[in-house]
Amino acid sequence: MGIYILKRVGAAILTMLLIITITFFLMNAIPGSPFLTEKSTPQMIELANQKYGLDKPLIIQLKNYIVSYLKGDLGTSLKMQEGTSVNDILFHQGKFQLSIKLGVAALVLAIAVGIPLGCIAAYRRGTWIDGLLRVVTTVGVAIPTFVLATTLLILLAVKLGWLSTISGSLEDAKSYVMPVISLSFYYMCYIAKLMRTSMLDAINQDYIRTARAKGVKTKWIVLKHALRNSLIPVITYLGPVTAGIITGSFVVESTFAIPGLGKYFVQSVLNRDYPIIMATTAVLSAMVIGMNLVVDIAYKIVDPRISLSAKED
Amino acid sequence: MKDKLKSFSPFQVDAGKIMDMYGLSDEDFTAAADSEKESMVEMHKSISFWQDAWRRFKENTVSMVALVVFIVIVLFAFLGPVLIPYDYSSQYRSAQNLAPMQYSENEQLTMLATSGADAYYSTAVQSGSLTAIRKGSHYINWKGATYAFSNDKGIENAILMLDTDAENPLYYVKLDDIAEDGTYSEITVVEYTSEAAEGADELELSTKIFPHVFGTDSAGRDLMARTMFGARVSIIIGTMAALIVLVIGSIYGSISGLAGGRVDFIMMRIVELIYSIPEVLIVLLLQVVLKDPLQEWFDSGTSAFSQAMSDLGTGIVSIMITFALLYWVTMARIIRGQVLQLKKQEYITAATALGASNGRIIRKHLLPNCVGPLVITTCLQIPSAIFLESFLSFLGLGVSAPMASLGSLCSDALASITLYPYRLLFPAVVLTLIVLTLNLVGDGLRDALDPRLKK
Amino acid sequence: MAEDNKKLLEVKDLAVSFFTPAGEVKAVNGISYSLGYNEVMGVVGESGSGKSVEAYAIMGLLQSPGRVIGGSITFEGRDVLAFNEEERRQFRGNECSMIFQNPMTCLNPVYTIGNQLMEALTCHDSGISKDEARNRAIEMLEKVGINNASKRVDQYPHEFSGGMRQRAMIAMALITRPKLLIADEPTTALDVTIQAQILELMKELQEKENTSIIFITHNLGVVAEICDKVSVMYAGNIIEQGDVNDIFYSPQHPYTKGLLASMPRLDAEGHERLIPIEGTPIDLLNPPAGCNFGPRCAECMKVCTRMKPPYAEMENGHRSACWLHFMGNKGKEDE
Repeated sequence: MGIYILKRVGAAILTMLLIITITFFLMNAIPGSPFLTEKSTPQMIELANQKYGLDKPLIIQLKNYIVSYLKGDLGTSLKMQEGTSVNDILFHQGKFQLSIKLGVAALVLAIAVGIPLGCIAAYRRGTWIDGLLRVVTTVGVAIPTFVLATTLLILLAVKLGWLSTISGSLEDAKSYVMPVISLSFYYMCYIAKLMRTSMLDAINQDYIRTARAKGVKTKWIVLKHALRNSLIPVITYLGPVTAGIITGSFVVESTFAIPGLGKYFVQSVLNRDYPIIMATTAVLSAMVIGMNLVVDIAYKIVDPRISLSAKED
Repeated sequence: MKDKLKSFSPFQVDAGKIMDMYGLSDEDFTAAADSEKESMVEMHKSISFWQDAWRRFKENTVSMVALVVFIVIVLFAFLGPVLIPYDYSSQYRSAQNLAPMQYSENEQLTMLATSGADAYYSTAVQSGSLTAIRKGSHYINWKGATYAFSNDKGIENAILMLDTDAENPLYYVKLDDIAEDGTYSEITVVEYTSEAAEGADELELSTKIFPHVFGTDSAGRDLMARTMFGARVSIIIGTMAALIVLVIGSIYGSISGLAGGRVDFIMMRIVELIYSIPEVLIVLLLQVVLKDPLQEWFDSGTSAFSQAMSDLGTGIVSIMITFALLYWVTMARIIRGQVLQLKKQEYITAATALGASNGRIIRKHLLPNCVGPLVITTCLQIPSAIFLESFLSFLGLGVSAPMASLGSLCSDALASITLYPYRLLFPAVVLTLIVLTLNLVGDGLRDALDPRLKK
Repeated sequence: MAEDNKKLLEVKDLAVSFFTPAGEVKAVNGISYSLGYNEVMGVVGESGSGKSVEAYAIMGLLQSPGRVIGGSITFEGRDVLAFNEEERRQFRGNECSMIFQNPMTCLNPVYTIGNQLMEALTCHDSGISKDEARNRAIEMLEKVGINNASKRVDQYPHEFSGGMRQRAMIAMALITRPKLLIADEPTTALDVTIQAQILELMKELQEKENTSIIFITHNLGVVAEICDKVSVMYAGNIIEQGDVNDIFYSPQHPYTKGLLASMPRLDAEGHERLIPIEGTPIDLLNPPAGCNFGPRCAECMKVCTRMKPPYAEMENGHRSACWLHFMGNKGKEDE
């Protein structure tokens, strides 16, 4: 188990390095200089380049990034909050915390609602409940996040006036409602669909027949025998869900005016603020990769067949 | 026979009695002919895999309805623009911010003013504003007759009318002379001949006035035309991305699966690495990075290929590149899995043992068996590509105006969402319908092509 | 019959159909038999003959689109088909257990063997303590010949070999001391040497625990080894039944004869050839009007193409459904 986790962590670090490298080169491939404005002269740009070490060869710059990241230093903003340390921007200004709060709430909602809904649909297969859930979930995975977010915004905030159009820093519970629902709805529906399929698949397995032959109560057959086995595909999906929720946060944060990481990342790309692009990419990727790691380990807990020392395919 | 029966049975059945009971004769106890035996068995008609799959798909009402709806949307996107007199990029001056089913001011006037005329020519019908009929020679063909005239001043803000019953069939009415109720008394007669001068311009007469079914945007562009165009762009992006993924993924996957061993190991580690990258972060960067180089290439390129690409625009092309770079891994995994599984099958071993060549095995055995997953994954890839495109366009990184995609239309609508919510409604509904129907068709295909999954 | 109270299980005219989109499949088409206490009955037939379906009907394990459409099943005087859901659940596993063909897939991969054994106990007796259930499980595992049972009890199915899994399945089925055990091809998926061990074990346990067994198999050799009486099924009907000796030494039905002729025997004299049964089983969606075996029968007569044969009763409860037994006048002429 220990060796397996070590291996996984190693792979995760490798992936992180790869992402940082890709981001670095992509970022530098963006034509033009971050300091290019209408007023700037070539001399000014050169000076600024010197100041931020952008005149050095790319490889050295990349090395500097990695070295300072290892030290926990994410660099200094070039443009958006010139001169402020990125650590301060992301962590002390609460951007990271906001995104985490939002993401975790959405993830929890998606799982906590999606799994039971999928179970109910499978358990009541063929009934009106199953039919209704199928319609909702099928439509749910066809609605883009931004459409749902704006629709909620118009309905609940503008027309009905129940909620504020600006969720801001998520200070009260009410401000969570719309962002979290819009962020998690797609994944809630997807998980419910996945859960239904995999539950039905599990129910058709031989060991369910054995359990029935033993005289186990139907409720327990579903809750004990079918559920645990059918959770496996859902767990696999949690990695992509995390990535997706982060993606969704780009949209949701701008729709509901939440000053989080997602919104900041998009702005930093448009503004070419290199250190911020690098840092946000690193932080967001770390979240996704970390989740993948958790998923890999969660496997072992749910499915004893997966031997952690061997590579499964 | 009878002896045996007797010796074994204490409550022996009287055979004669039984025969009476069933009304049988000795004749019945003679051997049956082979033909009689064969007639007992009804042979099943054997049907091919595809016929069977199609039969199953047809039985799936939901998927069939989805397929029909999707075809309707495709027709809407590709045939629709021909049927309506507006196009996606023209800005109709008097038509800004119209609600659905409204006519622009000029159209309303024209409608009123032309009540007596057979046909009219108005720049309004085509461009939304009555600017001018240019200086020079023009002719009009109407029901076999030619009306040729020349004007030396250009006609400003007027509608050119043709009323074959009137004394002077060809005349124009100045807009200023048209009253609120559409009546007018001042007309300017146009002299005409029946011979068009050399190089004369044909003016196309029109009787058609068309409402802006989905309304217009703040620049006066017709939203239905834009939605049609956007749907077309989205469908093209989805299909092309899916094809790119299909080609790259299946080639990579089958090489990996067939080669096996060390090659497979390394190729799969690469896949895993790409798989664990949060693509959207990279996609966002790529969008920005690729924009300028692509534009440069379009501007300098003269080949048909770069021309075709430049018609699509940088946004779409960079989305394609993104797909080609990052999104093929799932397909590669599925195909490799299939190949590995099939490689283990006894019939492949049997074919190898019988001396079939590799090419033959791939053609005759592997490909037909991979087709199911290939079709399904490709079909489900389309909506995910459409999703990604709309997401990028929504963030302002996809296609840019006057080009439109469903995502960019939704994004544009947001600026004035509280005033004109329908501007979001139409593109969003079309987008959702495309994704929904494709998902349902994909599900139906899965059920139809892989009967094992359907218990 | 006077011995009615000695009957454990009585099946009468049982009919099960599957209602598929393509039509009704009569998987079991009116079968009758009875089983006494401490008796082992073999049900023999090729795949698709309805032998497993019949067992599922007794257990109440039939799933849509399968349904019992006629007949009765009586277990110790109680009508099994009239059970409500809770009664049926208490019946399953407690009074009547079942083991299945493929031990590889029949155990839940994510729970330990012990957990699954204990579950069989706790779901019928909620009063049993965890320790007691565990001890019973260990004891039962020892009984089925699993060494080191106190350690094995905490292992997962994938840590067991095929034969051991089937032993564990048997332990699970017998842990509640049921009166009837239905074994659905319990040895088919196992290696030949393991097969023999499992059969040996079942015979031993049957004698020790006084359990009646319905042993479903397509392997006549297995039947000879363990069964008291045999029912031979073909296309949803029992075409011949009787004591194991009667069936083996004086088979009456052409199908049974065919089965025996196609089986290799150790006591074969010289180079006897194995004689296969020609043809394939009928399509149950469109069964023929006459005898189901008719199309494959070498002795098929005109009547066989038109009418289903009745049973001919012989001594000792031996009966066979074939028109050959009723060749009345023709037979007399031969005399």
